[in-house]
This record gives sequence, structure tokens and C-alpha cells, in this order.
Amino acid sequence: MTGEEILKVVGILLEYLVPTLKVFGFTLLFSIPLGLVVAMLKMCKFKPISWLTNLYILIMRGTPLMLQIIVVYYAVPYIQIANPDMFSFIDIKDENYMFGAVLVAFVLNYAAYFAEIFRGGIESIPKGQYEAAAALGMTKAQTFFRIILPQVIKRIVPASSNEVITLVKDTSLANVVAYAEITLKAKQQMQNYASLVPLFIAGVFYFAMATILTALFSFIEKKLNYYR
Amino acid sequence: MKLKKLLSALMAALCLTAFAGCSGNNAATTEAGGNNTAETDESLNKVLESNKFILGLDATFVPMGYTDENDQIVGFDIDVAQEVCDRLGVELVKQPINWDTKETDLDLGKIDCIWNGLSVSPARAEAMNLSEAYMQNDMIFTVMNDGKYTSSAQLEGKTVAVQNGSTAQEILEGSDIGKKVAVTAIATNVEALQQLELGLVDAVFLDSVVANYLITTTGKNYTILPETVGEQEEYAVGFRKKDCALRDKVQSILSEMKADGKLGEISTKWFGSDITTVK
Repeated sequence: MTGEEILKVVGILLEYLVPTLKVFGFTLLFSIPLGLVVAMLKMCKFKPISWLTNLYILIMRGTPLMLQIIVVYYAVPYIQIANPDMFSFIDIKDENYMFGAVLVAFVLNYAAYFAEIFRGGIESIPKGQYEAAAALGMTKAQTFFRIILPQVIKRIVPASSNEVITLVKDTSLANVVAYAEITLKAKQQMQNYASLVPLFIAGVFYFAMATILTALFSFIEKKLNYYR
Repeated sequence: MKLKKLLSALMAALCLTAFAGCSGNNAATTEAGGNNTAETDESLNKVLESNKFILGLDATFVPMGYTDENDQIVGFDIDVAQEVCDRLGVELVKQPINWDTKETDLDLGKIDCIWNGLSVSPARAEAMNLSEAYMQNDMIFTVMNDGKYTSSAQLEGKTVAVQNGSTAQEILEGSDIGKKVAVTAIATNVEALQQLELGLVDAVFLDSVVANYLITTTGKNYTILPETVGEQEEYAVGFRKKDCALRDKVQSILSEMKADGKLGEISTKWFGSDITTVK
């Protein structure tokens, strides 16, 4: 490929960086709070809820995200056929449907991973701190948000950075339902030029994003390094 | 082998009955219990009412339907479909899909048809309501148009290039002629043709549809030898099994386009001559 052709491919991929970042950003936005809720449910003293949560995490971590995307994407139209009243407000031909389905699959999957990270963080705080807070007359909510959570955040940053960087690369899985993002476009241009170069350019894009995130996380870790 | 023949004969019979079923729907059927009559087949009306004909494609098949360097979906199939839509008076929507799940997308109504150099196979004829084949694809030899080679028999002992990893490579290596020539696997057909021009190879073995397109677009002095190797492949448009009215309408517009020369014009633009097989 000539330099001019490569620039053209870069231009197209830059344009589709937006849908890639949309999946990335919204997944983080929704999966982190959901992950916290799932972690709480898993630690619930009422056992059936804990078991159900375990089953959810087992399924989400035990099956490929690519298959989960396909399942969510096709589940809605199949349910619509089986029961026309359900999901009747969703139009599968609508251009936002694809993004919605992809996002639901990503959020459900990533919430399961985040939940386990959060649970590990919460359980790593010694019991004595809860007892001390109770002795000071703090309520359960006060204890959690003022004492426990700030320490948990510090401890889970390294594990979370792993997930976040994996998520950047996982956005490429959305091309399995022909969601127009960097990988799909690179594959199309690959056929157009009969060359592997567009795919390599896409790789450079992912590498650049991962590098930026790595720098961001080491900055965050430094900032959170107080009391040390 | 016998079983395969029997199977394909059976499939052909199945197709025929399916198509007969379609054309029967256009005539008013008085038979009671015919649950797929013209009155209940709303497929054509649905397209006309929504004013949209949604064409599903993989968008990576050069030159039938692919994404060009400006990120526009173009190709022979797209030009033909655009003309069909113009004549229907509806808008053409090009919907990229994953080729692996195309049948599901079609069944669920995400798209109205699959139109992207879809090759006819017994399994597809059963799963979909296929149009009649609009183009044939053969595996052929391309040589320089200097009169040195006029038949594939003359290639014995010579060097033939194929695209590495392509079906052309498989077919050539498995054929009788393939054992008598030296096969060179080259990354792309374009590079293989460049080597032909430079005299590094004596012939290039590839799909006739792709060959015609590359010969037309490069404007080089190549020619195609008359003999074909292996089985012929046919391209058709795939519709939902029950969408007879829509399929028949598109088929009749294609025939109309063939008759008034528009189809030939589009074919000439992409392939240098009219290579369509629409009746």
C-alpha cells in the first residue's frame, strides 16, 4: 500500500474511533456501578440471593463475550416473534438497536468481572475497622462510604486497570454483529486493498489507546498513594 | 458421489416446487387452505409502504459489493440493486451484516434480502427463496493477449499463479491440469496479474468474475482462455422463504432491465461486457 492509501485508511479508522469509544465509555459508566451492586448482592447474608448472583457471575465469566453479544442481539427479535407484547417498544431495524444490544452485553459481562474485583477489595478490609467504626457510633452506611470504600478504591486500582485495558481491545468483538467500529472497517478496507495493512493500522489504534490508559492509571495510582 | 448426485437432484426438485409455488401465488388461487396466497404475502407491500428496501451485505466482496477507499459501499450488485429500487420507487438501504449470521438476519426481518455475490447451494436454496441465478462464475486461466496460449492444454509444464489460500488454489491443485503445471501461490490476484505482465508467470488461475473485473479496471492486455476447471458457481439474490411477492417483483424487474439493456450497461461498467445470465 502507498503512503497516500495508508493515510486514507487512517482517516476512515479515525472516524470510527467514535463508535469504539462510545462502547468503551458507556460500558465503564454502567458496568462499574452495576458491578458494585452485584458485589453487594453476592455478599448478601440471605443465601438464595448470593447463589443467584454466583450463577450470574459464573455464566458471564464462563462464556465468551462474543457469544454473549450474539445472544443479546438476537434474543430480542426472537422473543418478539414468540411473544409480540414483550419488547414491542424496541425496533430492531432502528440504527440505535445495534448499539443498545452491544452495550447491554458488554455491561452485563464487565459488571461480573468488576463485581469480583470489588468484592475482593471490600473483603480485604479487616473486621476490626467495622468494629471500631461501630464503637464510634457510625451507622453501617457511614462506615461503608467514609471508612471502607476509600480504602477499597486504592486497593482495586491495579486490578481494575487490567479490566479497563482489556475492555479497549474487547470493543473489537462488537464487529460480530457488524457494529461499525474500527475492526469492522479495517476488515472491509483489508478486502478493498487485498492487504493486511489496514488490520495492522487498527492494531496501532488499540495500542495507542491502551498506552494512554496505562499512563492514566499510573497517574491515578500515584495520586492515591497518600499515607505511604 | 452417487448420494451427492441424488441429493442435488432432490434439492433441484425442491427448488422447482418452491419457485412454482411462488409464481402460483400471483394468479388468484381458489384453492382453500392455501396459506401463502398473494393476499397474505405482504412482503412487496411492506417494502413499498416503508419506502425502503434493505439489502444485507458483507461489504467485503470485490467487485460485487464492497467498501471502497472512501468508505462507500459500491459494487456491481449495488448498482443493480439501486436501479431495481429506482424502478420500484423505493430507497435502497445498504445494511452491512456478519456473513456468518446472514440467514438469521434475513429471517428476523433485519434485512429484506441478501445480495452480495451469494453463491447458490442446495442448503441455501432450502433455507431461502432464491432468485434465478443472475451471473455465473467459473474458474479460468488468464494469459497475456499475445496469441502465445489459446487453450489451457498449452500450459502444460508452464508456471501458473494463484491467490494464496483461495478456493482457486484448492481447485487448481486438485485438478488434472494442476498436476501438469508449476503452481505459484501469490498473496493477491492483483500481484499475480502484475507478475503475468512482467512474464514471471505464464498464466493466472482465478474466478472469472474477479478476472473480468480486474481486466476491465486495470485496462491491461489480458485475455481469458476458453476452458474452465472444476464446478461452476452461480450467484443469486436470497429472500425470505415466505416473501414470494417481493422475490417475484425483483426478478421481473431484473428481466426488464436485461431486456432494455440497463443490466448489460452496468455489467459492462464493471466487467467489460454483459456477463449476466438473467432471462
